[in-house]
Amino acid sequence: MKRFRSMAYPYVAWIAILIIIPMLLIIAYAFTVEGTAFFQGQFTLANFGRFFSDAVFVQVFIRSLRIAILTTVVCLLLGYPAAYAISRSGAGSTLLILIITLPTWINMLVRTYAWVGILQDNGILNFLLGLLHIGPFQFMYTDFAVVLGMVYNFLPFMILEIHTSLSKMDPSYLEAASDLGANHAKAFWKVTLPLSIPGIISGITLVFLPAVSSFFIPKLLGGGQYVLIGNVIESQFLTSGNWSFGSALSLIMVIIIMLSMYLTRKLDRNREDEL
Amino acid sequence: MKKLIELKNIVKDFDGQRVLNGISLDIYENEFVTLLGPSGCGKTTLLRIIAGFLDADDGQVLFDGQDISGLPPYKREVNTVFQKYALFPHLNVYDNIAFGLNLKKEPKDIIEQKVKRMLRLVGLQGFDKRRITQMSGGQQQRVAIARALVNEPKVLLLDEPLGALDLKLRKEMQREMKNIQQEVGITFIFVTHDQEEALTMSDKIVVMKEGNIEQIGSPVDIYNEPVNRYVANFIGESNIVDGVMPCDNRVIFDGHPFTCVDGGFAKDEEVEVVIRPEDLDIVPPQEGMLRGRVKSVLFKGVHYDTIVETRQGTSITVKMNITEEKPVVNEAAGELMDADSFYLDRDDVAELTDAMIIARSNAQAWTKDTQEGVSITRISYDIRPENGRYPVTFSTAAGTSVTVDMIVEDANRVVSEEYQEEIYAVNFSKSVDDIKESLTLDNDLMIWADASAWSLAPEDDGARIRITDVIYDFDWEHIMPGVYDVTFATKGSEYKVATTDRTEPGDFVGLRFTPDDIHIMRKG
Amino acid sequence: MKQKKRIHWTRILLAAVIVFFYIPIVYTVVFSFNSSRSLTTFSGFSLRWYEKMFSSSMTMNAIWTTFLVAILATVISTAVGTITVIGLSKCGKPLRRSVNMINDLPIMNPDIVTAIGLLMFFATMEISKGFMTMLLAHIAFCIPYVMLSITPRLRTLDPNLADAALDLGANPWQALWHAIIPQLSPGIFAGALIAFTMSFDDFVISYFVTGNGVQNISILVYTMSKRVNPSINAISTLVIVIITAALLLINLIPILRDRAMNRNKEESV
Repeated sequence: MKRFRSMAYPYVAWIAILIIIPMLLIIAYAFTVEGTAFFQGQFTLANFGRFFSDAVFVQVFIRSLRIAILTTVVCLLLGYPAAYAISRSGAGSTLLILIITLPTWINMLVRTYAWVGILQDNGILNFLLGLLHIGPFQFMYTDFAVVLGMVYNFLPFMILEIHTSLSKMDPSYLEAASDLGANHAKAFWKVTLPLSIPGIISGITLVFLPAVSSFFIPKLLGGGQYVLIGNVIESQFLTSGNWSFGSALSLIMVIIIMLSMYLTRKLDRNREDEL
Repeated sequence: MKKLIELKNIVKDFDGQRVLNGISLDIYENEFVTLLGPSGCGKTTLLRIIAGFLDADDGQVLFDGQDISGLPPYKREVNTVFQKYALFPHLNVYDNIAFGLNLKKEPKDIIEQKVKRMLRLVGLQGFDKRRITQMSGGQQQRVAIARALVNEPKVLLLDEPLGALDLKLRKEMQREMKNIQQEVGITFIFVTHDQEEALTMSDKIVVMKEGNIEQIGSPVDIYNEPVNRYVANFIGESNIVDGVMPCDNRVIFDGHPFTCVDGGFAKDEEVEVVIRPEDLDIVPPQEGMLRGRVKSVLFKGVHYDTIVETRQGTSITVKMNITEEKPVVNEAAGELMDADSFYLDRDDVAELTDAMIIARSNAQAWTKDTQEGVSITRISYDIRPENGRYPVTFSTAAGTSVTVDMIVEDANRVVSEEYQEEIYAVNFSKSVDDIKESLTLDNDLMIWADASAWSLAPEDDGARIRITDVIYDFDWEHIMPGVYDVTFATKGSEYKVATTDRTEPGDFVGLRFTPDDIHIMRKG
Repeated sequence: MKQKKRIHWTRILLAAVIVFFYIPIVYTVVFSFNSSRSLTTFSGFSLRWYEKMFSSSMTMNAIWTTFLVAILATVISTAVGTITVIGLSKCGKPLRRSVNMINDLPIMNPDIVTAIGLLMFFATMEISKGFMTMLLAHIAFCIPYVMLSITPRLRTLDPNLADAALDLGANPWQALWHAIIPQLSPGIFAGALIAFTMSFDDFVISYFVTGNGVQNISILVYTMSKRVNPSINAISTLVIVIITAALLLINLIPILRDRAMNRNKEESV
């Protein structure tokens, strides 16, 4: 069946063109003098210099990380118990998983936009709170709204990852713990939780990655003044046309993401090795 | 010996399905008890009820005289070795074994002492820091035993722990497990479906079937005096034949009276007689207590598994008419066609269909050039349910046609009152080529003769009985036209003999056994 | 394991999470039928926002573009993905591993990075931005997902399957079509579904690579969202209905097929 081999070749060419070259272009432009094409421009580190010397950009970056970390923590705190409850529901868990996944198939932008109507000053949430004589509060254009939007969009990923690792767990581990003298609480902390760490890690990855790079959630729920790293990159490409600086920012973002993923994974591995 | 665990009338249902049907069982101190049975017999469920992972729907579990039915597993003085060990993959060997002691908050130095002692007991000194995933199945097995025993339980429960190991390792662990049990001096309750494992290790075997206990006894008792056919079959291969007890120490089977050592049956009670294959000896015919012909010999390494048939089953002989027919050739259409005359039972005439006629006559047409099949489009015949010859003509669309006879006869059946069965077959005609080209001749002969056998016992509702023998004495490679006898027979009286004597199939031999080789069981 | 029947707090939290997930969807659908502009009070049932949506040529164009791109991208990426997976399985390990690694790049990278890469690529090649660039980009990001859903299926396949077909007289293409593809079809089907929804829902990449006024639904919603505009709710509801229908179809087809097969079995017995 060797002749089928050739069927893979067109795609090999395709990825070279549509995946590798674009990635290389980002790297090339990140080191190219602003306003010139990479093949005629000169090598420079100025794009990175501009980022580190300008407090505004560094602040934007820190804020992006802060919001992403906050989102990840909230997703973990909500997602773990939810996933745990699902994995304890026996036959119902398949249906619950379907219920959780269903919204994720629907356009993120559409679902995020719905929150604008809910969180508005004269929106439905304030209306409901008003019935209880609370508020009104300003929800829109705050960290709260942005984190809420991100949690809303990314929480299903966390739940699914943790649920997968919980449901894959052999129930005899819990029986063994119980057999050896652990009550439910102890069995959870000593067996269930440690064994679900791989799920937690991939859940964190799947939440943190889109959270740190998102640009339409802050734009819709944080307003025009609310700028995260994704918004800066967007404006570099679509408004100011500064590809070089935009590429440099993207590169920094990717490096930070890869670094944090690497550290989380390493942390997990170290923990394992110590034992 | 003191009673440690008393099970009283334990009942368990899963989804309306009864899994345990009122089990009562006493287990004593320092006993190696095996729950033996096929999967689905409820043995694992029973173990899990003792461990506390399941609650019985009814009945009591007494431990040291105390009812522990509602007690969660972590408060019971029993520990479990799980089927696939359930060793915690996030902990190393030491921490797995220390798990229970850590939960009890024992001092670190005591824990270390105890864990080291356990590692020595199971022969894993120096493996403390090893990760579970880096260990072999046998080593994991030992860790699982150590992890359970370190908590000093009064009873160790083992749920088919050797199932995942290969044969050699399993034998080794069987011995080791017995040694460990003797050394720590506690009760082991061991679940397995492997009778050999049960016989090797146990002090007491509990044979289970469909939620009931069939027999409880020492390995020797269970092996030598199985209470019924189920236990006898489960505990090892046996010859089981029907017999009658005219009086104590006397049993009639296979048409002969024999002396035995059993008694306590009603006069002329129908019983089942068990004789183990290794208790039978092959001797010259005149010295045998039973005589028969060797049917097959299978070499098993140390011995031969020899099947001796003392009486044939029900048999029927039919005539096979071999012809030298050549296919009809239709040069104009470039077609060839072929069919055989065949015999019919008069009772079957009414139900005759075209498809049956084609199948029984083996009618087929094909093109001369490409050998591709051509469909038969017309079958014309006229038949009455009276004995005689009736021509049938097959033709294709192109006009090629063949005429053969359907020969209606009286039904050819043999009824055996003794075996309560009936066998049926008809005479048939075939060409020389049909015989020579057959790939599975025995099977084809059965199809051509329409041979079948069924039970006449009222409780069997006419169930089919397999025809095990097709007997003929022609040489199929060099067969000539003519008439031949073919005999079909069901299984008769056979004995399996485990022997070191070499015999050839067809040898006439005698079988010898002593009165205490005969084990009598009640029917049912 | 013994467990008392009581409502654990984690179940209450799970219920709350599910409500949280569905609030915006219910809200959108309900308010798309609102007769007033209000986002707070439902003042009466009306179809005015739907009328407005269907009468707006910009909206209709966006819907058309979305569908066309999604369908084309699904068909092309599924075909290319399937062929490539089968081809790769016969290739050496180094090539297979490097293709899989490169495939992971767009999956692992933030969308925005993939988007700007493609944007710069199209611009550098002087391909004018619009429908074609959007379609190419969609095909590009769909293929890795299609391959991801077929590969595990192929791995469980008996490697002798194709040989068996050849042995029985099939030519290689017949072997492929009659022996291998049917075995992969659950994976292919799942891959196509993922491709369709990914393409149908995509905003980030489309937003960066489009031009010359070509918009899909997501871009339209994004540009309209700067002002409060209830007709977005109508468009959103349309998206919700289409995706839900597609998902129901996907989930129901296997169930219905099983049921039909069981019925056949019963009849034949």
